[in-house]
Amino acid sequence: MEKKGTPRRGICLYSYHNLLGKTMTLEDAFLEMYDTGATCFEFLTSYIPGYPNPTPEWVDKYWGLCEKYQLQPSELGHWAENHLRRGPGMTDEEVVEELKMDFRLANLLGFKALRTKITCTNMMCDPEPGWQNYIEKALPYAEKYDVVMQNEVHLPTTLHTPHIRDEYLDFIHRTGTKHFGFNIDFGTFQTKPAKGLEWMSDFKDISKPEEIVDFLPYSKVCHGKFTGVNENFEEETIPYAEVIKLMVDNGWSGDILSEMEIPIRFFAEDSAENFAQAMVEIPEQVRRHQIMLRNILGY
Amino acid sequence: MVEFQTIQQRGFHNTYDENGKINGFEFRFVPKYYKGYWFSQCRFGNITVDGEVFDRDEVIYVYDGMEYSREELFSLRKYWQFREPLTFRVRKEGGLSIGYHNVGLQFGWVLNYNGALEAEADGSGLGNMAHMFGTDHERRMLLCR
Repeated sequence: MEKKGTPRRGICLYSYHNLLGKTMTLEDAFLEMYDTGATCFEFLTSYIPGYPNPTPEWVDKYWGLCEKYQLQPSELGHWAENHLRRGPGMTDEEVVEELKMDFRLANLLGFKALRTKITCTNMMCDPEPGWQNYIEKALPYAEKYDVVMQNEVHLPTTLHTPHIRDEYLDFIHRTGTKHFGFNIDFGTFQTKPAKGLEWMSDFKDISKPEEIVDFLPYSKVCHGKFTGVNENFEEETIPYAEVIKLMVDNGWSGDILSEMEIPIRFFAEDSAENFAQAMVEIPEQVRRHQIMLRNILGY
Repeated sequence: MVEFQTIQQRGFHNTYDENGKINGFEFRFVPKYYKGYWFSQCRFGNITVDGEVFDRDEVIYVYDGMEYSREELFSLRKYWQFREPLTFRVRKEGGLSIGYHNVGLQFGWVLNYNGALEAEADGSGLGNMAHMFGTDHERRMLLCR
């Protein structure tokens, strides 16, 4: 029998983005995360002051925050952009240089996993043809800097959307790489719209929980997407307990990171009333989600 | 720290030439998006103040103490840091009157995220993310000097 997995619970700093730099400093966010009992976090490259060239003083400060608040780096979100200029796309070599820059930063800041956004051409996240060329050329550098590029499986994409198996999984099998995989966003299991977010998807085609099993060997970090957690610490639109049980029973010991997308996140800047609501709801919702994960995991 | 609105009132004032004569106005803008951008990904539209239109190619974009034209931003290898304001400097003889003004602008960007690639090869549009995040911003602001 497979040994039970012991996933860590963590938080995406993205969850606080409406407040960051407005009513919340980076240290405030670390304190907030510490309060929840989370042990790891996702950063975005954009949250590195001076990106792509943070000062040594900031890097020291960053590690000081990790130590002070007992939080481990989990995943660095970045973008494999190949259209940074007008007109034709960049060459593979230009894209690889951008990727190397982020790999180095991830290594410097202690991230072993990356959420690598490959250029998509529609809402189903079908990748722009040719992505294999620059990603394959980047693999030796991912190995050098000890990072795994993870493509996010994000609603409305499902685990059975053709490009997931036909392109991404095929790429992993063909190259044999351990430096490319999946960040499976729990939103892909969402069964119904959240109140106030009815426009997001029709939820006619969603991932079934059991589909995750095949992908666990290729996943180190997953986004714990949520659109609202009630006061009983339940996410009513996503079968969290069922999915996490499958992960644990199949020996998965990666990171599940709270990624908040409650309705106010989209409208926080529209009025003073909305922003005041966001200031209260956002941290509270992340706290609720962490309690929910703790209740399911048992720690 | 910046204000929660995208168009910032802090920094909204008339500008003066070396002789102390008002020659225009300026204000600051901070996108509400969750990440920063390379400036070459940014697409700017015109500015309006109380209905008066100021052409995007007449605007001076000021970042990190440096002035740029819209055209220069297309090839600028510089990252617009998250939550860092960009100043829009507009030439207008006599500037704006003391009091309230409705300030508007259009801003879009190009990103590799869940949409068609940019339709305009010359960057003349507002990028490829308008379908998800819109482009229009407006705020009523009080000018004091």
